[in-house]
Amino acid sequence: MKNDLHKLTIVDELIVANQEVIFQSKEKREVELDIANKLLTFQNDEKEKRAAELVIANKELVFQNEKKEKRAERLLIANRKLVIQSKLQKHQAEQLREALAELESFSYSVSHDLRAPLRAISGLSQVLAEDYAEKLDDEAKGLLDEIIANSDRMGELIDNLLEFSRIGKQPISLGDVNVNQLVTAVIAEQRLLDRNRKLTIEIKNLEKTQGDRNMLKQVFINLISNAFKYTGKKEEAIIEIGSYLENTNCIYYVKDNGAGFDMNYYDKLFGVFQRLHSNTEFDGTGVGLAIVQKIITKHHGKVWAESKVNEGACFYISLPNSN
Amino acid sequence: MLLLVEDNKSDAMLTMRALKKHNLANIVIHLTDGAAALDFLFVRGAYSDRNISDKPKVIFLDLKMPKVSGLEVLRQIKADERTKYIPVVMMTSSKLEKDIIESHHLGVNSYVVKPVRFEDFSKIIADLGFYWLVVNNAPK
Repeated sequence: MKNDLHKLTIVDELIVANQEVIFQSKEKREVELDIANKLLTFQNDEKEKRAAELVIANKELVFQNEKKEKRAERLLIANRKLVIQSKLQKHQAEQLREALAELESFSYSVSHDLRAPLRAISGLSQVLAEDYAEKLDDEAKGLLDEIIANSDRMGELIDNLLEFSRIGKQPISLGDVNVNQLVTAVIAEQRLLDRNRKLTIEIKNLEKTQGDRNMLKQVFINLISNAFKYTGKKEEAIIEIGSYLENTNCIYYVKDNGAGFDMNYYDKLFGVFQRLHSNTEFDGTGVGLAIVQKIITKHHGKVWAESKVNEGACFYISLPNSN
Repeated sequence: MLLLVEDNKSDAMLTMRALKKHNLANIVIHLTDGAAALDFLFVRGAYSDRNISDKPKVIFLDLKMPKVSGLEVLRQIKADERTKYIPVVMMTSSKLEKDIIESHHLGVNSYVVKPVRFEDFSKIIADLGFYWLVVNNAPK
């Protein structure tokens, strides 16, 4: 009996314990489920948010895509235009090359074919004057002299014209140019050509520059020989050569106290074959200053001048300052 | 002997006159085109009886001639063992850089631009004649 009672108590206890366990585990699962549920809800919200974001992103992409398509279309059109333009340019370049080749053969024939007959006219007139000196009277000799002088002058004109066209075609080869050295050499050469002159030449500070040495030498030869020439009738010639900096440019000048020129005809000064003095006054062909302008323009510079008749002239060259 | 190859009659006259004036025209042979010059130098055609060792002391060669040009004559002279040491002076009216370079490339001994002024022309011819006939020594 006692044993039975004891058994019963254990069974009861077990039941209670069991019920407790069941209760506890239910509670635990409920909590767990609750947490899991909350987690899922949260994740769901996140996903919805992301989905919304994706929709926006997608719209954005569609928009960008449309934009890109439009740009691609525009690029395609631009490209087609470029192809046409480049074909056009190629064609133009070809035409230019042809024109240049034509010009070259033209100057060749000018140089060769026009000079030969001139040499014959000049030379044979000279032969006539020498071999028939006794049979010709003074008037006939004077006429022959005129023929010779004129054909020689035409030879000079042809040579200068060729030089002018040659410089136009020639590309510039850039380098450092010591202008002081260059001008000193040019003056020495000019003095040799014209030894019996009373000349005062003043060389002021001459800045160095960047440019084509040979071409710039030609510029100074032309300007300085002009200064020599146009002071030829002065008792004492004064020539001044110098330079100064102004803004981003270096300005060189050649100044003389010679015959000068009339500023009213300034617009003709740098023209080819244009002269502001007659040949009997001062010899020349009217190409020197045109060459100066062409060379300076090729150097992205400027050339100008000022003068008063009989008081002298000053020529200026402005070149981009390289110092 | 000086060989003058010149198609222009007036230039030839003036050249001969300048040489004569300076007593340099003892033996000048004047031919008027490049083909004749090559026949003469290589003893062919009308010149096949000539003695090839009888070489000119100098050749004054015009650059621009019909048919065979001065440049072609120069090329053949300098390419042949028998003639390559004969001094050749290219005489021309052209100052074209292209011609100057090509002539020197082919081995010209002098390149001279004929001036228009007769005085200058005459002086250049006399100087050249004197230099190449009297002053210069070339292999025999």
